[in-house]
Amino acid sequence: MQIFQRIGRAPLTLVLPALAVLLVVFGVPTVQLFFESLNAPSFSIQNYSSFLGQYANIRVLLQTLEISAIATVICLLVGYPTAYLISTASKRARMVLIVLVVIPYLTSGLARTYSWVVILGDNGLINSALMNWGLISSPLPLIYNRAAVYVGMVHIMLPMMILPLVSVMLGINTSLIAAAKSMGAKPSTAFWRVYFPLSMPGVRSGTLLVFVICLGFYITPAALGGLGDAMLSTFIASQVSTGFNMGSVSASSFVLLAIAVVMLSVFGLNLSGTQDSAPKPRKGFMDRFSLLRVVKQYLNELSVASRSKQWSKALYQAQGGGGWSRFVGSLTLTLVIFFLLFPEVVVIIMSFSSDATLQFPPSGFSLQWYGSFFGDEAWYGAAWTSIKVGLAVAALSTVLGTLAAYGLSRIASDIRGWLTMVILAPITIPVIVVGVASYFGLVNLGFIGTETGIVLAHTIGAISYVVVIVSATLANFDRRLEQAAKSMGARPFTAFMRVTFPLIRPGIIGGALFAFIHSFDEVVVTSLVSGYSVRTLPLKMWENIRNEIDPTVAAVASLLTLLPILWMIALYVTWWRARSSSQNTVLEATA
Amino acid sequence: MSQSAHLRSDGHPVAKLPRQATTEDQKLEDRVPAQIEFRDVTKMYGPVAAVTELSLTVGRGEFLTILGPSGSGKTTALMMLAGFESPTKGDILISGKSVAAVPSYGRDQGIVFQSYALFPHLTVRRNLEFPLEMRGMKATERAPLVERMLKRVHLDSFGERMPSQLSGGQQQRVALARALIADPPILLLDEPLGALDRNLREQMQGEIKGLHREFGKTTICVTHDQEEALTLSDRIVVMRGGKIEQLDTPEALYDRPATRFVANFLGEANVLDSPELGFNDQNFRGKVPMVRPERVRISAVNSPAPAELGQSQVATGIVEEMIYAGPLRKYQVRVGEKSLVVRQHVASGQEVFAAGGSVRLDWLRADVRLLNE
Repeated sequence: MQIFQRIGRAPLTLVLPALAVLLVVFGVPTVQLFFESLNAPSFSIQNYSSFLGQYANIRVLLQTLEISAIATVICLLVGYPTAYLISTASKRARMVLIVLVVIPYLTSGLARTYSWVVILGDNGLINSALMNWGLISSPLPLIYNRAAVYVGMVHIMLPMMILPLVSVMLGINTSLIAAAKSMGAKPSTAFWRVYFPLSMPGVRSGTLLVFVICLGFYITPAALGGLGDAMLSTFIASQVSTGFNMGSVSASSFVLLAIAVVMLSVFGLNLSGTQDSAPKPRKGFMDRFSLLRVVKQYLNELSVASRSKQWSKALYQAQGGGGWSRFVGSLTLTLVIFFLLFPEVVVIIMSFSSDATLQFPPSGFSLQWYGSFFGDEAWYGAAWTSIKVGLAVAALSTVLGTLAAYGLSRIASDIRGWLTMVILAPITIPVIVVGVASYFGLVNLGFIGTETGIVLAHTIGAISYVVVIVSATLANFDRRLEQAAKSMGARPFTAFMRVTFPLIRPGIIGGALFAFIHSFDEVVVTSLVSGYSVRTLPLKMWENIRNEIDPTVAAVASLLTLLPILWMIALYVTWWRARSSSQNTVLEATA
Repeated sequence: MSQSAHLRSDGHPVAKLPRQATTEDQKLEDRVPAQIEFRDVTKMYGPVAAVTELSLTVGRGEFLTILGPSGSGKTTALMMLAGFESPTKGDILISGKSVAAVPSYGRDQGIVFQSYALFPHLTVRRNLEFPLEMRGMKATERAPLVERMLKRVHLDSFGERMPSQLSGGQQQRVALARALIADPPILLLDEPLGALDRNLREQMQGEIKGLHREFGKTTICVTHDQEEALTLSDRIVVMRGGKIEQLDTPEALYDRPATRFVANFLGEANVLDSPELGFNDQNFRGKVPMVRPERVRISAVNSPAPAELGQSQVATGIVEEMIYAGPLRKYQVRVGEKSLVVRQHVASGQEVFAAGGSVRLDWLRADVRLLNE
């Protein structure tokens, strides 16, 4: 009991296990890599100068920035109006729309990339249709070019832009717009002078996250782009896999890392760590997992049912626009949702094809590809490996992440800002850099090519997700409840188990779910650390997409598309239950 | 240990709290209201002192209120007593024993938290059972205690409700019941009525007073609401900037405030520090005279002079504003540089003065108090 008491007084202890894993797998090797890139102990910038001295490298670097920037801008241009329309829709419509955006967000990125191969390929949906109608005689070059890369990247990143925006926009008090109009502002003036500035936090965090994640993109450009569309991560990955020069790999990783860190620190994080800015990074990071916030906010709305809010909304909507703008709005929403979901539908149809190769539309229907999935040990074995790894990752990261989040919530805010930033690094910097660092971390530990190694490599990212989600839940948790329990004679551990745990359980379950999804979909880091001896499902799919183009992968992708629906049901059940039992904490969150 | 040691005179079983070995006598003593003593307690947050050298003794069964604006250190003092914060310097003693080494869960205090801190995932009944359960009481023993307590706070039929299904006043009563059910020797109230509307607040003041009379706990209440402090307490401590400004009974505190701060914090005060009112630094030696608005009489300039002229101070001024507030009228009267407040109980046949008119003010010299700055 003395121990618990002491732990209670030194919350840092709770963060240590998570930090230890993070340091061993990721932190120490990052430092090693940095010294390696500087040719320690002689210290020179030779690796950097030779990297930057080659025209091809500069070109890849600029191309990476260009592709990321353009994809981000497209996401913003499409995402902002979509988010606006979602946040101003009626409650019921909003719920449905958010679910429709979240489903692709939770779907395997590989499956979604593959769907564009099916649509844009030479024998794919579009070319087949055009040829069948006699509009063209030979396939258009729709795939393996820059445009296809943009389509694929925007498709994958769009939910990540929309969700933070919706979350911020739902927080904007619409009576402010009504107030602006009552003072004589035209609707467009009210929008630009009041609404738009208030939505800027969402724009900033959405843009930043999308851009930084794009910097590390690897799968989509490799699957949909041509030879000339390589991004820096493709370049790094190929160097790692082909008996590389460690110095040059580390130099190029650090160039990418430097760009990401500069972007994050200039536009998002204030690295000075002053008290004032400390909570900001946390908030920014959390916007990424706005699913939780959006869903929670939604639950709040259901339970609050505030008349005044509706009144102002009615006033606002009544003046908002006529039939024409409503039509344009609905059309935009329909197109965006179609863009997000249609590819998944195509893949599901494809998975029932009776043809031997990728061809659309299928000439007949059969279950042969499902048969080949469940009949081939290479496939179901890989799936089983992924499930095992995923469960281990979820268990490990949920325990470590929950402890860390609980500890962080009790630490002085200036230190907390820094620690949170460190813990969230694995999901905020380009994934290829995490992969290279974990590779060296696991080399140190002798875990390359083992399931344990993969579990560790996935766990560092999964911990970040758990910390974000559990922290968000803890932020709504009233600490006085724990004090009340103690004042009634409950020891700290009892107080946690009887009061805190039941109230933050939805967050913990959500965190575990995201940890599992993170591991189950991970391909970039896995491909670097698996050492060809362990095959996870995403690795097997990636191999299949790159080499064989055999529609078994469509069957797998279809099955993976069903998973998010399962996740949604799980989240709904946990959060719905949370709503009925802990209405108070949820309500306080809005106050 | 005999069972009888755990029964009060009325047969109410007494909950036992697991604690370090003490003698049987002291255990019994814990059941009578405790005495609380703060001894030179200082609490620093970094370089900032929240509480500075606080020394204070609360007698057995006393109801003491710590009153002060936010940032005065009152909540910090309460949190240290509850064991959620530890003093940087000094010591806190409960019934003569230091509690420095006793964690919050070993202090055996009932606390009513600001906004109540009812467990939202437990029913009212489970909330009330919680402190008994933590003291290792069996379910069969708990049930009658809970029943009785629910009845005492008029919530007999609410046992199976969730806290979110209760009104503010009902939640408040559950919180009080939960704090008292394990029969702790000390009751702490943190802004107990802050979340309630005015009518409910008066009703709950009565409830708290009743419970205090009935259970006789040594009670410390923290609030920034002067009315709450005046009506509930045996004694009031006014805190300011982490220090005690004044400690006295409610009546003495209101009638004889020691400082300008106390005079202004409890009620309204007319500070008579302008030359027109006969004030200069020499004759008051660093103190300022003050008179309460209800001690000032207002009359027409030409009305007959007050009988006790020799003992009164008189001033003439112009009415700036008259506010009618039901049982009383509030005048704001400009006398030279100063604006004085006069509060007059409404009575029949009374002359009413409109804004802009000249009036005469007078008050007894005996009603003037000298305040420290």
